[in-house]
Amino acid sequence: MGLGSLASRALRSSSSSRVLSTNPRYNLIRTIVSTPELHKPEAATEAASEPDLPKRTPIAGARVHFPNPDDVIEVFVDGYPVKIPKGMTVLQACSVAGVDIPRFCYHDRLSIAGNCRMCLVEVEKSPKPVASCAMPALPGMKIKTDTPIAKKAREGVMEFLLMNHPLDCPICDQGGECDLQDQSMAFGSDRGRFTETKRSVVDKNLGPLVKTVMTRCIQCTRCVRFASEIAGVQDLGMLGRGSGEEIGTYVEKLMTSELSGNVIDICPVGALTSKPFAFKARNWELKGTETIDVTDAVGSNIRIDSRGPEVMRIVPRLNEDINEEWISDKTRFCYDGLKRQRLSDPMIRGADGHFKPVSWRDALAVVAEVLHQVKPEEIVGVAGKLSDAESMMSLKDFLNRMGSNNIWCEGNGKYLDADLRSGYLMNTSISGLEKADCFLLVGTQPRVEAVMVNARIRKTVRATKAKVGYIGPPTDFNYDHDHLGTTPETLAAILDGNHPFSAALSTAKNPAIIIGAGIFDRQDTAAILSLLNSLSAKFKNLITPEWNGLNVLLLNAAQAAALDLGLIPESDSGMESAKFVYLMGADDTNLDDLPKDAFVVYQGHHGDKGVYRANVIFPSTVFSEKEGTYENTEGCVQQTVPAVPTVGDAREDWKIIRALSEVCGVRLPYDSISGVRSRIKNVAPNLLRVDEREAAVFSGLLKPEGSGKVSAVPFGVTVENFYMTDAITRASKIMAQCSALLAKK
Amino acid sequence: MASVVRNVLKSIREKGLVSFARELREEGFLNCLSDGNLLQTKIHNIGATLVGVDKVGNKYYEKLHQTQYGRHRWVEYASKDRYNASQVPPEWHGWLHFITDHTGDELLMLKPKRYGLDHKENFSGEGDEYIYHSKGHTLNPGQRDWTRYQSWQPTKTQ
Amino acid sequence: MLARLASKRLLEIRQAFRQSPQTIRSLSTALNYVSSNLCFLASKSFDLDSTGGTCAFSDFIDLVCLFGVCVQHIDTPENNPNVPWEFNEANKPKVNEILSHYPSNYKQSAVIPLLDLAQQQHGGWLPVSAMDAVAKVVEVAPIRVYEVATFYSMFNRAKVGKYHLLVCGTTPCMIRGSREIEDALLKHLGVKRNEVTKDGLFSVGEMECMGCCVNAPMITVADYSNGSEGYTYNYYVREHHKLHYYPFSHFNEDITPKRVVEIVEALKRGEKPPHGTQNPERINCGPAGGNTTLLGEPKPPPCRDLDAC
Repeated sequence: MGLGSLASRALRSSSSSRVLSTNPRYNLIRTIVSTPELHKPEAATEAASEPDLPKRTPIAGARVHFPNPDDVIEVFVDGYPVKIPKGMTVLQACSVAGVDIPRFCYHDRLSIAGNCRMCLVEVEKSPKPVASCAMPALPGMKIKTDTPIAKKAREGVMEFLLMNHPLDCPICDQGGECDLQDQSMAFGSDRGRFTETKRSVVDKNLGPLVKTVMTRCIQCTRCVRFASEIAGVQDLGMLGRGSGEEIGTYVEKLMTSELSGNVIDICPVGALTSKPFAFKARNWELKGTETIDVTDAVGSNIRIDSRGPEVMRIVPRLNEDINEEWISDKTRFCYDGLKRQRLSDPMIRGADGHFKPVSWRDALAVVAEVLHQVKPEEIVGVAGKLSDAESMMSLKDFLNRMGSNNIWCEGNGKYLDADLRSGYLMNTSISGLEKADCFLLVGTQPRVEAVMVNARIRKTVRATKAKVGYIGPPTDFNYDHDHLGTTPETLAAILDGNHPFSAALSTAKNPAIIIGAGIFDRQDTAAILSLLNSLSAKFKNLITPEWNGLNVLLLNAAQAAALDLGLIPESDSGMESAKFVYLMGADDTNLDDLPKDAFVVYQGHHGDKGVYRANVIFPSTVFSEKEGTYENTEGCVQQTVPAVPTVGDAREDWKIIRALSEVCGVRLPYDSISGVRSRIKNVAPNLLRVDEREAAVFSGLLKPEGSGKVSAVPFGVTVENFYMTDAITRASKIMAQCSALLAKK
Repeated sequence: MASVVRNVLKSIREKGLVSFARELREEGFLNCLSDGNLLQTKIHNIGATLVGVDKVGNKYYEKLHQTQYGRHRWVEYASKDRYNASQVPPEWHGWLHFITDHTGDELLMLKPKRYGLDHKENFSGEGDEYIYHSKGHTLNPGQRDWTRYQSWQPTKTQ
Repeated sequence: MLARLASKRLLEIRQAFRQSPQTIRSLSTALNYVSSNLCFLASKSFDLDSTGGTCAFSDFIDLVCLFGVCVQHIDTPENNPNVPWEFNEANKPKVNEILSHYPSNYKQSAVIPLLDLAQQQHGGWLPVSAMDAVAKVVEVAPIRVYEVATFYSMFNRAKVGKYHLLVCGTTPCMIRGSREIEDALLKHLGVKRNEVTKDGLFSVGEMECMGCCVNAPMITVADYSNGSEGYTYNYYVREHHKLHYYPFSHFNEDITPKRVVEIVEALKRGEKPPHGTQNPERINCGPAGGNTTLLGEPKPPPCRDLDAC
């Protein structure tokens, strides 16, 4: 080994280059390499149509269902026959056949624009390559996706797209998960021929959530279509023409939508990226944990991307039945609340009124001692809006063993009867709302209460022009609606039949009535529910064997499971006479009625409203740190998966209660989460069937009629501030920025 | 291991305890106590060949047997407390990073005299005293706290 | 010892490199590249001298002005969304007339004629509030109207003068010297492109092909001096010089920029200079000095008898 070998290597390379230099191609800097097979596409296609082809699986679980058997047509993708329903595009046919066509502007859930031209394929007897996303598949069409013409078309389109796209991938947040990056690797050329200066575009201000680098934009108009079609805010547009084309709002304006974060996901390049996540991490450093969201009762499917002990971002996960592929801004950007204001140590309030960190042993001992001194009927337990089923089960078991049955979940009110599941679930199911052709929203503002349900209603209204009636305080909707009234009396008028909307309701095929969970806190809950019961008796189309149009839209993630587990207060005056209150993450419970000398234990994860009255604090975990079962508003049971470790000395909720029960001398009989679940199986077996929607057995409310009269008190606004509804979102800085913006408007 | 102990005893016998202790300090064995990187380098050095020493005094080691290929060359910096990668002069860089098999001494022979500028360690713009150490480095004082959450402070609210 | 070894090997290496033709070739390629670049630069700079001040850089700035910045609206005292604007009484029947052309559920089809009407009413340009008013009439979101208004260069989104002078910038006119004409205009009026003179009379813009390339270069004067009613487009065509074998060589004759300035001065005095070709020897698009061909009555097409139908 030495310099001699280096020299010999140099010699060798020179000789090999001499061999190569006989080929004239290598003397030119670069020419457009023309290959003979390009000019003879027939030769290439003949090779592709061999008789036995390997079985291909559809891309991304593309589902084909044939609404009408007559409408089946057969096309050939690369010689492989596929049966598809009429009206599908060539691109969809290819994805059914298992061929993934590169695309930028095409998106399954948006209208077709056909302006990126990346999806060009060759179709036999067509003189030019066709844009497959905009071309309907015709019977017997022979589509070729792998021919030299298609490849060259893609390469050319890619070269055009990269002409004005900056090559700043190293400083771009989309790097690593960028469609343009991936597809230029797969389909692009290794060099471009463009030597002029690239254009640059002024960045737009789209608010505190979306960061824009408009120079990177490739004008796919996905964001424009998303904003106007899904989010229902007509703010974004395509301005200018030619190379001066840009996405913008023209006038200075912020995008005010509760779904605006989704433009980050649909943007195929790094033009729209997440502002809070900017320059924080690369996507390959992140560990993805597939879990669910608990900030509302929809239970959107999400993926928590974490790096080490830190949640870096939250992105949606596809679930056709719940959130499709969108999530609300609250779900997406509340994650910095998981890291702030955390309770990390057990604390006891000393005689001077200050909290002092103590060990678990001391804290549990103090609580156990107090528990033994109060009378059983003076014990009250309140589960918070983010509690999982396991912890609510153990809380109920524990307090029952202490002799009290005064346990409820906040938001469910005092007057609700949990005997029938159909009385508190969304019986139509979220995806079932798409079949409805007439909506009646009673005391609910789905746009802030359950964003994904609202998106589903908007989708239905856009597609079928379904009629929407709304009873409640004036609020803004992003679809056409009739404001019928503000009080429950309007509902009575519809029942009597002298309201114009009752005609619409009776002629509809699949009417859907959605009642907000806000009515649970009213005095006349029972009266309203019985009114609805009579409505369902009067309008026979409301509940049929195929259709159940009577829905309750819950507010919080814990509500449905709490009612399934029977967390119902025993007496109306629970708080007034309580001496011992166990708040399990309950921050929005009104504690004004509580006697001054009552002892309050707050078990929770954030130093939020609940701790101010607490005597003892038990630190517990948030949804990203624990395994827990949640039931969403339509009765679909899902589980969270721990993505990051717990903070400080915090423990999972059910473990804390299990430990406390042992210190109190009433040991609960389970030592593991599977133990808790087998206990749940006895109470509510549906909570163990994960990812399944367990519909209510009885439809209808079966309420005794005429239980009181509805009051003339107007329905209230249930969610005052969309961005701050629970302990996590109230701790979040990003949510605080958003709500400051909301307040300014 | 036995040979190490024997060598230690031998050098104590030869040099006396005081000068042995001084040598220990100069060679950075005391720094090993607080600096795991240095300790690991020292442990690595046992049984390795010293390939060369550059003008600053960095020692270049190689061990071809019983080491993972790709980890068989390393440097022990001359400075035992404030070392960083830019202290390796260019002639040794290639050897150390497996770009070439020629040691720095060999390459130094080829270096034309007219490139007279001497290699300098990479100082930051904030004076020669300040060296940036990446986060997680033992010498980066600001990155010691790995807590990624913020606790609720009870005193603030009371 | 080591030194001797090293120097020997160095010699070996040098020899090896001397034998390698590829290295030399690559070096020469690099040199070629550099020298061609230098030539390119030199020719650029030469260009700069010969055209007398119009360099590639100013073109680039123009491009930026045209395409880069102007798409976004910037609030000014006379052009912001809070300025009240609506169709005046005279135009309201016209609005209804335009809307009547389209089905009532496709009102948005009327957006272009309505924008044109609004532009004529507002002295040749469209403030944001006018676009908002159009959006209200056709019942779409304002952004949909902005999209249309920014797409068409005929909609002026900034204030224009009473006479909006539009110089053709398309290839034939550009080859025939439209840049010089524009420079002369800008210099004479002392404004930049898309800027209004202090007296509010003139502004200079660009218009794409006016479809009269035989008479290139040409300018258009959008005349708002009579209000929106008497608004006209007048086309002025460059005075045609005698055809040369090398048309490019006679570019700096400066006949036309002079004529353009004359036209501007005439407009300033309130005169109406004759439109059409500015070459007295020519009639419309005919050649200078009268027709040389097609002198008789054109014959009807042989295959069709026009009188029969």
